[in-house]
Amino acid sequence: MNVLLDLIISTSTQGLIYALLSFGVYITYKILDFPDLTVDGSFPLGAAVTAVMMTNGSNPWLTLPVSMAAGALAGLTTGLIHVKLKVRDLLAGIITMTALFSINLQIAGSNLIINRDVDTIFTSAFVTSFLGSSSLIYRKLIVSLLIVIMVKVLLDLYFMTKSGLLLRAVGDNSVLVTSLAKDKGTVKIIGLVISNALVALSGSIVCHEQRAFSSTMGTGQVVFGLATVIIGTTIFQKFDSVHGTTAALIGSIIYKACMQLAISLGLPANLLKLITAVLFLAILVFGNYQKRHNATLKQKG
Amino acid sequence: MKKLLAVLIMATLAISTASCAGKDDVKSIGISQFGEHASLDNCREGFLQGLADAGLKEEEDFTISYQNAGFDTAIATQIAQNFSANNVDLMCAIATPSATAAFAAAEDKDIPVIFTAITDPVEAGLDSGNVTGTSDKLPVEAQLELIRSMQPDASTIGILYTTSEPNSVSAIAEYEAKAGDFGFSIEAIGVTAQSEVTLAADSLIAKNVDCFSNLTDNNVVGVLPSILEKTNAAGIPVYGSEVEQVKKGCVAAAGIDYFRLGQKTGLMAAKIITGEAEASEMKYETISEYSIYINSQALEEMSITLPDDLTGQAIESSEN
Amino acid sequence: MLELNSITKIYNPGTVTEMCLFQDFNLQINDGQFLSIVGSNGSGKTSLLNIICGSIPIENGDVIINGKNIARLKDYQRYSRIGRVYQNPAMGTCPHLTILENMSLADNKGRRFNLSSGINKNRKSYYQEQLATLGLGIENKMDIKVGLLSGGQRQALALIMTTLTPIEFLILDEHTAALDPNTAEIIMKLTDQVVKSKKLTAMMVTHNLRYAANYGNRLIMMNRGQIVLDRAENEKAQTSVDDLLTMFNAISIECGN
Repeated sequence: MNVLLDLIISTSTQGLIYALLSFGVYITYKILDFPDLTVDGSFPLGAAVTAVMMTNGSNPWLTLPVSMAAGALAGLTTGLIHVKLKVRDLLAGIITMTALFSINLQIAGSNLIINRDVDTIFTSAFVTSFLGSSSLIYRKLIVSLLIVIMVKVLLDLYFMTKSGLLLRAVGDNSVLVTSLAKDKGTVKIIGLVISNALVALSGSIVCHEQRAFSSTMGTGQVVFGLATVIIGTTIFQKFDSVHGTTAALIGSIIYKACMQLAISLGLPANLLKLITAVLFLAILVFGNYQKRHNATLKQKG
Repeated sequence: MKKLLAVLIMATLAISTASCAGKDDVKSIGISQFGEHASLDNCREGFLQGLADAGLKEEEDFTISYQNAGFDTAIATQIAQNFSANNVDLMCAIATPSATAAFAAAEDKDIPVIFTAITDPVEAGLDSGNVTGTSDKLPVEAQLELIRSMQPDASTIGILYTTSEPNSVSAIAEYEAKAGDFGFSIEAIGVTAQSEVTLAADSLIAKNVDCFSNLTDNNVVGVLPSILEKTNAAGIPVYGSEVEQVKKGCVAAAGIDYFRLGQKTGLMAAKIITGEAEASEMKYETISEYSIYINSQALEEMSITLPDDLTGQAIESSEN
Repeated sequence: MLELNSITKIYNPGTVTEMCLFQDFNLQINDGQFLSIVGSNGSGKTSLLNIICGSIPIENGDVIINGKNIARLKDYQRYSRIGRVYQNPAMGTCPHLTILENMSLADNKGRRFNLSSGINKNRKSYYQEQLATLGLGIENKMDIKVGLLSGGQRQALALIMTTLTPIEFLILDEHTAALDPNTAEIIMKLTDQVVKSKKLTAMMVTHNLRYAANYGNRLIMMNRGQIVLDRAENEKAQTSVDDLLTMFNAISIECGN
């Protein structure tokens, strides 16, 4: 039973940490309708900044806002390339992502490891002072949970502000934003900045958790983010009251749980991506079926 | 939604209870390999051989659970967490990303980790703690000596490497430090991704290097056939860094045998699971023995004749 | 007052398909005028709206609203003075936001979109009051998503949203064309009511000659980038649908349609 508990804890922790990335993708893909590939670069950017700061003896908590600022800058770059230089959304993201690959290596030098004698956010005095007695996996779960809940609440509150409302409007109907005498380009840039700050935060926490930065850790993160957002929003499409952030969070946990299930079942890793694809397709088809089913009910009613 | 969760939990439960079963004196070993790759596979097979050499029998003395991450660091993390949750008695990690993931997952539970196929354990932060293993540091001097005896007139050696790979960066440094002793200069070109390797090969050829020498750089080795296609056309011999590369068409290599590296790791692992030694007290070991591997067909194509003093010790390693 | 002075608009300049639509075009719309514009396809009606709003570039000329030249301003900057209702009902509202959120967005036009609460609860009853004038009952559905409304309801909502804050000029871009005849009638009546009650200066492009004849206090007919008919006040009031139809057919025959 302990085995199961441990697995649930460590898998949930992964799901939570990566949910921050899903929040970011939720903002660009679902709210802004902007397929942002910057993610593959801003995720390791957060980790690179964190690894460098940690190996230089910085306070572990300080790495979180600094990583977010770096991610925000990456989002700003994509936004400016798209809005000011009028490069297509997909290409703007690809350009920044490609540049970030080099920038990440410039920042970190090469792949970096944080030694065990260096304190991460999970082992810092602040956390051990009130969670000291519990084992590390519990601490990782609780700290990630607190961070994710805090970010989620802040995001949900932001979406209710005037600025947040305008952000939601720009993806929904950008013509209306222009009619409101607001520059839709600026609103998109704000969205990209917030999104990539969150993605970099996720990368930063992964670096804390793994004590490692690798230049290739960003590969495939966009796909992961899209998958989790689509899984989450498809499952919850019937429930208007469920926040998009909640859906993304659950999507991330389900994704990681499926991976862990595949590992536990002993499925060959070379097939994991295929399994992901099948899962993805199944959920989409299920979602479409539900939509049609609901539509039929409505017609009959 | 609830149903989905229920199914997930039930399935995980069924598996985890199944894997828990077993007697106490049978030690469980989780092998986490970063990906399917000839050298890494050799390591794993050698590891199992090493355990057998120590007189341990699978099922009676130990059980093996093998996972590979398909070269995905996030999956490597989850594999390590799976082993940790299942409280394996020992984690064997093959290649650096799997080793860092295993070490992170074992941080609290103090599960011993044994690694292999890591060039610089110090750089990878794996030199202290309940961890030990074997390092596959390249025999650079032997390689330079080999090239000198095969190509007495050569002056420049070209090397392709990945700039983000600490193993490769430290190997390049060693090449540059020692090349002078053998009258060579090094022309190294760094890449950041596998897709750049063949372009970099073109520019090395354009620089008129006398030969290529490979490291154990995954990006470069991964596209070795297309590099060889270009170098063969240009009549430039390529030296490998281990037997698998020679099998694929490199002329020769002074390389470590990954099977033997794994074997050594297996012997160390046997000491840990029998309680003979603690991983935290064992220093990691670097394999120093190397062998000379040759591919006579490739040598013939490059019209290189094998020096007499090598004919006795060289091991023929062509695939066909 | 809106003035268009010496407007030159050339489509595809410098290519074989180059087409000069407006050459030294002038138009003046006085405060309080409700102008209807009719004309066949390609006569330049919609281009005229797009020129005012900055949706398309012009080669030469000035667009002046109440003394301020806005011809060099970006489209979104011009909308601080202009309101526009589009032909497509989907353009004027956000389908995934609720009616209340849509109204709140519209209500904040001209102010900062900062981190204060997006919805001002105190204004809700005012929004409901405004929506109640439509007589469609949507004031009781403040929390449903606009995407669930019918095309006519969305267009009515868009009209209220566009005129919620003070604007200097209202543009109606064939705003009844996508609706069924009954709904179009309702929207047209509402438009007239809103323009009159808020004393707006407005400009309506329409293909419906009856609306052009029955509503507004000035009418122009356009053909190939030129104004071929301009009637205001009493002269306009005496123009019947049949008169318009005759003239419309005349220019159409001239064009060979």
